[in-house]
Amino acid sequence: MRSRRFEARERRELNRELLVSPHPELGLVAAAGPRDPEPELLVESGVVLWLDGRAAPDFDVIDRFVVAHGLDLDVAGEAMALDDVALARMLVDVDVPRSELVRLARGLTPAKLARVIGLLDPVELMLALKKLRARRVPGNQAHVTNLKESPALLAADAAEAARRGFAEIETTVGVARYAPLNAISLLIGSQTGRPGVMTQCAVEERRNLELAFRGLVSYAETLSVYGTESVFVDGDDTRWSKAFLGAAYASRGVKVRFTSGTGSEALMGHAQGLSMLYLEADCLAAVRAAGSQGVQNGSISCVALVLSVPGGTRAILGENVLAAWLDLEVASGNDAIASHSEIRKTAKLMGQFLPGTDFVTSGYSVMPRHDNTFGGGNFDADDIDEWVTIQRDWQVDAGIEPVADDEVLRVRETAAR
Amino acid sequence: MSFDPTRDYPLGSRRPDLVSTLAGTPLAEVTLEAVRAGRISARDARATPATLRHQAAVASAAGRQPLAESLERAAELALVPDGELLEIYTALRPGRSTSAELESCAARLDGYGAERTAAFVREAVAVYEQRGLLARA
Repeated sequence: MRSRRFEARERRELNRELLVSPHPELGLVAAAGPRDPEPELLVESGVVLWLDGRAAPDFDVIDRFVVAHGLDLDVAGEAMALDDVALARMLVDVDVPRSELVRLARGLTPAKLARVIGLLDPVELMLALKKLRARRVPGNQAHVTNLKESPALLAADAAEAARRGFAEIETTVGVARYAPLNAISLLIGSQTGRPGVMTQCAVEERRNLELAFRGLVSYAETLSVYGTESVFVDGDDTRWSKAFLGAAYASRGVKVRFTSGTGSEALMGHAQGLSMLYLEADCLAAVRAAGSQGVQNGSISCVALVLSVPGGTRAILGENVLAAWLDLEVASGNDAIASHSEIRKTAKLMGQFLPGTDFVTSGYSVMPRHDNTFGGGNFDADDIDEWVTIQRDWQVDAGIEPVADDEVLRVRETAAR
Repeated sequence: MSFDPTRDYPLGSRRPDLVSTLAGTPLAEVTLEAVRAGRISARDARATPATLRHQAAVASAAGRQPLAESLERAAELALVPDGELLEIYTALRPGRSTSAELESCAARLDGYGAERTAAFVREAVAVYEQRGLLARA
């Protein structure tokens, strides 16, 4: 005989999801993997001889880039000498200023960064994130797309997003050659809603750079990085090619943000037995070293995989904190569908919503779900009232402003015309 | 008045006197009317090496050294033609180029006065050689 209560729960949305036990050998472990290296840094006359379990001759492309452009050897001695627990306490101590923590982070190795973050519990992570946020006030990114790729509808949705307070708006294309048209629609719509909002069109790297040359986008965040050499090469780039690309965008006046996130290496089958949080620390060290002003992280499109392992939600919050600690502006995920359970999805969101990150979601669908060609989206037009009510309940600013019906219609019409 | 990287950011609102187009038109004259009258072209609205160097100084003063270095490279690349940038980026992707081909990219960058970026490409050649990321000649 079966319990009817158990049967009823099995029909709930949560049970459409797969929860797995950790498999560290496949990289299916959120943090503190058994193969994560010990934090180590050995420097002699300004030359790094040993980094996180590897000697200089064995450094791969990733290590070499961080050594050449990231690690600040002037503070490394002092920072690496600090005890893990002492650093963790500084992260949550309201009397230790952000500037001091950011200074020390410049001298910490990826393994040390991951180790310290792994010591914090969820509430401590939230406090650290609130304290370390780079921007004064939290914001959000919007996704603006539609199935028919109608320019007037794109412009109207972009205008509504801008009017609701979104700081950046992102589109993409179903048909590649429409990219310039979609980018122009977004540009016109966004500036109608609120001047100064930034826009991008997420397409393949080379085509994206062409849009930047033509002045049709004002930011780019398609520059993905991964934590193992083999995944990076599979992604058809190296740290040098990505850093060159970053400078190329900046040379045309385009704001540059890199993208990384836990779970990508495990998803691509090359995690080398390392934990998700450690690999993300490696990525973030490289993002900073490449000269990006910020990062989109928080697992992004791999979120379902990370949430399948124990501690996944906590590791995602941990990676957001790591990015902020490295002085990077953070677009903190919450864009791809994290869970089919409304309770689980919202519980995950609170990690970023309550402290307020630079961009709480890196893609809130301003349209109803069926028009979101980014693959659905975690939160959409139908959820706006819930979002602003939760802001009201907790008395926090999570970046979206309530706007009345007639005002929304007014900006939409102006933009479309 | 001299430039103070700790106080003068954002340049557009705090120090508009330091911002001009490539052709030397001051920021105040970059208006919709000027665009309509044909006095400002799309090329004029682009970032200039001088503005990017100011941004680099702001980043450096804020302790963001890698960002400052990237903006310095950007300043060098501001006047490099679009097609060249696309070619050099593609050449830097894994397995695309021999060391001689990447050296020729670096030499071209030197030709544009982009010496930091040329050195950055040469640094990549050395690493690619060791890690097997070059194309076979």
